[in-house]
Amino acid sequence: MIALHDVTKSFHSGKANPFTAIRNISLTIAPARLTVLKGPSGSGKTTLLTLIGCMARPTSGRIVLSGNGISGFPGGEEIRELDITSLPERFLAGIRRATFGFIFQHFNLLRGITVLENVMLPAYPTGERHGEIRKRAEELLALFDVARHANSRVDLLSGGETQRVAIARALINRPSVIVADEPTAHLDTDLSREFMEIVGSFKSDGKTVLIASHDPLVCESPRVDTVVEMRDGRILRSGSVP
Amino acid sequence: MNRSVERHRNVLDFALSSLLRRKGKNVSLWVVYTLIVSLIAAIVFYTHALKREAALILQGAPDIVVQKMVAGRHDLVPVGYVEKIAAIRGVRSVRPRLWGYYYDAATGANYTLMASDDPLPGPGAADIGSGVARTLHLTEGDFLPIRATDGTPTLFQVRKVLPYASELASSDLILLSEGDLRALFDFPRGFATDLAVTVGNPAERPTIAAKIAGQFPDSRPILNSEILRTYDSIFDWRGGMMVVMLGVAVLAFVIFAWDKATGLSAEERREIGILKSVGWETGDVLLLKFWEGAAISLAAFLCGTILAYIQVFFLSASLFEPALKGWSVLYPRFKLVPDVDPYQLAVLFFLTVVPYTVATIIPSWRAATVDPDAAMRS
Repeated sequence: MIALHDVTKSFHSGKANPFTAIRNISLTIAPARLTVLKGPSGSGKTTLLTLIGCMARPTSGRIVLSGNGISGFPGGEEIRELDITSLPERFLAGIRRATFGFIFQHFNLLRGITVLENVMLPAYPTGERHGEIRKRAEELLALFDVARHANSRVDLLSGGETQRVAIARALINRPSVIVADEPTAHLDTDLSREFMEIVGSFKSDGKTVLIASHDPLVCESPRVDTVVEMRDGRILRSGSVP
Repeated sequence: MNRSVERHRNVLDFALSSLLRRKGKNVSLWVVYTLIVSLIAAIVFYTHALKREAALILQGAPDIVVQKMVAGRHDLVPVGYVEKIAAIRGVRSVRPRLWGYYYDAATGANYTLMASDDPLPGPGAADIGSGVARTLHLTEGDFLPIRATDGTPTLFQVRKVLPYASELASSDLILLSEGDLRALFDFPRGFATDLAVTVGNPAERPTIAAKIAGQFPDSRPILNSEILRTYDSIFDWRGGMMVVMLGVAVLAFVIFAWDKATGLSAEERREIGILKSVGWETGDVLLLKFWEGAAISLAAFLCGTILAYIQVFFLSASLFEPALKGWSVLYPRFKLVPDVDPYQLAVLFFLTVVPYTVATIIPSWRAATVDPDAAMRS
């Protein structure tokens, strides 16, 4: 479970152009569910994702992760509950790597290297054996039906294939939470539906899925459990999808 | 421990494939870097080898050389001086030396002919320096033609090619028996080219030189330290040119490294952002950049050093030979004896590999310390 308590995030504090992207948000994200943060551009969805995904720290408030699968500490231990608000960057990076899998709006794959290397990339700093990482990456590519492109450069893939490679990369470290930011923004209807089918299936593996999107194909997908509506850095309403 | 090794291995593996992605840029970088290292290494090798040659020459040089002067010019010295100089207190030995120069018009080369201390098997035999052997394509048993003062051609059979210890000292040398040398140059009996004086106590050398000059006003005693000073001034002058060249090379390297330090492309910044967002720590990014920089700089260092070695010791430093060897460029061509100072090599390593690697890491460190959410917003 991910619990946010009165979280605020401000930028440029003390400068001529201060800006508050998130204002006093309290929210609970249930485990093994698909939650969508819905709202127009500038509503604070992406900022909230970065805070939850340990990419940035809140200006105030607390974010607590609890339950199974929270890992990434140097000792390799798994812990039941963790306040990530004030952890140093080194710990945040470890948690980000082990607990979260990210799918970005532009997929953010590295151009010029192979599909296989792109998928393996998040696992390199873990110190896991190269052969094991490679085996897992090949399995993921096979799972998403892109194994034949393993040794191709990512620049040569179609939009749908790129998307599946990005999903495979997000899963390489066996994260318990999948975070996706506007994942369907550059996909057609069929690919968007396919994406929702894939991430929806993660729930059965006990993974929590968190998507920021204003795409109706995402927000109205039958796979979605909870929709959190946002505007101007605040939550307008939050509720389960019937 | 294993995890740490595996982490390095994984990151190194990615660093190498990352370098291959920008083949054009990295290959041109490597070429420029190799050339700069090669130039600096060649200068270091060349200076060291020349100094070594000079040191070897001085090692075998007599403590005092006594020449006779006539009207300010060097003349043959009477062998009769030997006994009188040997009688001076503190002098250990006095040896008359017989030598001269010979210009061979056929090859355009100047040789130094000298009476051998090592007894030759008989008249008509010669030991030759490696430069002479190279120029005239001679080996043991071949015949060396020399034209005597009266124009008569004389053949000498080569007994051996002199060992390779110092090319500068022995390259142009032809050793003959005293009789042959006298006959060749029509040296009068009872005269030598100069006298080599050995003194027991080095502190007494100036006093003994003064005594010789007092006893023989027509003589000119030259101290070993004066020879050293002459060599020093010759090598220092050349050393000065070396410093200028070294300065230019180092400046080129600094500009090159600085350009690299400030030249992180937008694409590289974006990639660093992506790596951080997928869970790489700042330290992981720096490790990646370290391996990238180390791979390029180590490859350039090794190739540059090998190129310099080949250039200096196998191609006779052909790039800067005319400016640096001076009169030694005259035939017979001499090759430096390969000799590398490990300390200088280590200094070269730290002056090239380390600054470049640091120059690679600094801009990446700046980019890697940004919040990973930047990738989310790119």
